[in-house]
Amino acid sequence: MLFAHGFGCDQSMWRYVAPAFEEDYQVVLFDYVGCGKSDWSAYSAERYGTLEGYARDVLDIVEAFDLRDVIFVGHSVSSVVGLLASLEAPERFERAILVGPSPCYVNDAGYAGGFERSDIEGLLDLMDKNYIGWAAFLAPVVMKNPGSPELVQELQESFCATDPRVTREFAKATFLSDHRASMAKVRVPSLILQCTDDAIAPDAVGDWMHRALRGSDFKLMKATGHCPHMSHPAETIELMKEYLAATSA
Amino acid sequence: MDPILDTAPCGFLSVADDGYVIEANATLGAMLRRAPAAIAGSHVDRLFAPASRIFYQTHVFPTLKLQGTVHEVYVSLRDADDEDVPVLLNAARRPRGERFVSDWVVVPMRQRNQYENEILKARKTAEAAVRSKDEFLAVVSHELRSPLGAISGWTHLLARGGLDAAESARALAAIERNVRQQAKLVDDILDLGRMASGKLRLEVSPIELAPIVEEVLEGVAPAAQAKSIRIDRILDTRPATVSGDADRLQQVLWNMLTNAVKFTPHGGKVQVRLERVNSSVEVSVSDTGKGIAPEFLPHVFDRFRQEEGAADREGGLGLGMSIASQLLELHGGTIRAASAGQGRGATFTVRLPLMVAHGNEQPPAPARGETQGLAAQAPPSLEGLDILVVDNEEEARELLRALLGGAGGAVRTAASVAEALMQFQAHRPHVLVSDIEMEGGDGYALIRRIREIEQASGARTPAIALSARTRNADRLRALTAGFQLHLPKPVEPFELVVAIANLAGLRSRS
Repeated sequence: MLFAHGFGCDQSMWRYVAPAFEEDYQVVLFDYVGCGKSDWSAYSAERYGTLEGYARDVLDIVEAFDLRDVIFVGHSVSSVVGLLASLEAPERFERAILVGPSPCYVNDAGYAGGFERSDIEGLLDLMDKNYIGWAAFLAPVVMKNPGSPELVQELQESFCATDPRVTREFAKATFLSDHRASMAKVRVPSLILQCTDDAIAPDAVGDWMHRALRGSDFKLMKATGHCPHMSHPAETIELMKEYLAATSA
Repeated sequence: MDPILDTAPCGFLSVADDGYVIEANATLGAMLRRAPAAIAGSHVDRLFAPASRIFYQTHVFPTLKLQGTVHEVYVSLRDADDEDVPVLLNAARRPRGERFVSDWVVVPMRQRNQYENEILKARKTAEAAVRSKDEFLAVVSHELRSPLGAISGWTHLLARGGLDAAESARALAAIERNVRQQAKLVDDILDLGRMASGKLRLEVSPIELAPIVEEVLEGVAPAAQAKSIRIDRILDTRPATVSGDADRLQQVLWNMLTNAVKFTPHGGKVQVRLERVNSSVEVSVSDTGKGIAPEFLPHVFDRFRQEEGAADREGGLGLGMSIASQLLELHGGTIRAASAGQGRGATFTVRLPLMVAHGNEQPPAPARGETQGLAAQAPPSLEGLDILVVDNEEEARELLRALLGGAGGAVRTAASVAEALMQFQAHRPHVLVSDIEMEGGDGYALIRRIREIEQASGARTPAIALSARTRNADRLRALTAGFQLHLPKPVEPFELVVAIANLAGLRSRS
């Protein structure tokens, strides 16, 4: 099982869910380049300017460990990243579990993504203010010198460490992209976990995904918000196990 | 809720892990124009403006859950009237009874938010300015180098000898052309600097635009002929007197016309129109050249901005139009650019206010080239004055020697503070002229030492400081160190001669 974190955090967001699968599966966790404890020097604005660049990270890991029969678990934007990766190498992916997926966050004719473009621009401003305005909050460690052991130590104690510039680009790649057209090409069977009252990926988007993705199962969770794996780990684990048991039978 | 907490001067709310608000205080209710009881039970997502909702779900909540606290998070809430309420948020997640609860404190920051918006904007502007200055510097260096290459190449050939008369003449012409080109570049850069520091002075007089336009047209005719470009002129013959600096306005028109010729292909057409429009006079130059992309149009007059693809530029810094626009502004006029798009030509239009005529009489238009003020007067003589010039740059020393010697002064030079002191003690000059920025002891050190030496005799040699640093603080520093006068570099020859003459107690011959 390959767990991919969403925008704004790192693999530590899976800590309440992933351990429940360690007994039965080989569990692989990672941070996208530019997030968490990844090698930030590997970041390139060009590669990570689109979600395809992030899909490349997934494929790199799959290839490096020669992973087969992958059960891909992606949160939010990572759901789409995983599906894009599956289009490149369908033979590697067996199933996908999509937690709060959305192929397009911005409203369009006949499509309610949940946000207007101006909202996303507001988000970029907000991030500038919280990151660039003052460094007290989410980036306790901006790694300037990756070779310095004390910095690495500090970094390991902080969560969701991000480089402001990287996060800004990630936000753009995430919230201003539209991957609806690619969804119909996906062949890997999937489970969509849709939260109740999700303000980021609303019900209508979950429905859209269910209709677009061939062989997809849909579960509306009791969990509310956008991060059920953090707010409601027990229900998340239960639904995932149920799906895996049912489909591997 | 505890009454103190309920009415504390900050918003307070408790949120369960599932995102539902457990309770909110009265202050938060007032802030959001909602009843606190109505806030309790709603999902916390509903309290945020859309962008903040994303930020909360993707950044704040995960961090709060993993780390237990978040500090100084800037977000916007939404009140009952759908108005944004910018706040600063601190939150801590901790066990309470059977479950975990996050306690939030929110402080409104409407005023502060505006202030911080400004700061952020200023920071971004500053960063962009630094970036474009860096790019500008790279372009400037490149542009300054190209004429140098030609000059040094031809000089080398001349020095080696063996060129016949025709070849030598060609070499000299090429050198001269490149020197002129480089001088133009340097002038442009200096103009920009003067404008930035508000030091550019106009020699204003009543002038007629038509003769200036004619003169510029004559100047660009050879370049236009070389490219078979036809120049049509439509000049209003009624007198149009404006108040302005004839040289500077000519510079603007020259820029407009040479650009038009430069960017118009072989066989193209340029049209120059001079007309009175209400209480203004307009000069427009239209061409059939490569035009301007609509997205670049607003930036045509920006400093340090050039259209993308610097490699295919026609040479030059692209400073001309920025300078033109600032010169027009100093004249109380405007310049605007229009273009139907790339490949579809461009029109630049200058508009200047007409001078209000007194009675029926038109103010006289002085002949061009006639300058007013100091420069027109005869320079004073420095005959009989011993002048000690101190500068560690040989070029500068020699220039001053030629300038002051030419005015009749007896000039001695020193290349360092130590040498200057030796010269000074061997032979007291009437006036000292010293550079400030020198290696191994600067002008301040020199003048202080000289004033010490002079203490015994009570004499005080008049001294002028020359410096490229021209802020008030720099001037003050020079004066307190013991100089009588502080003149900016590059030195204005006439000003320096007058200053020396005045300090030496002489009067101008005129």
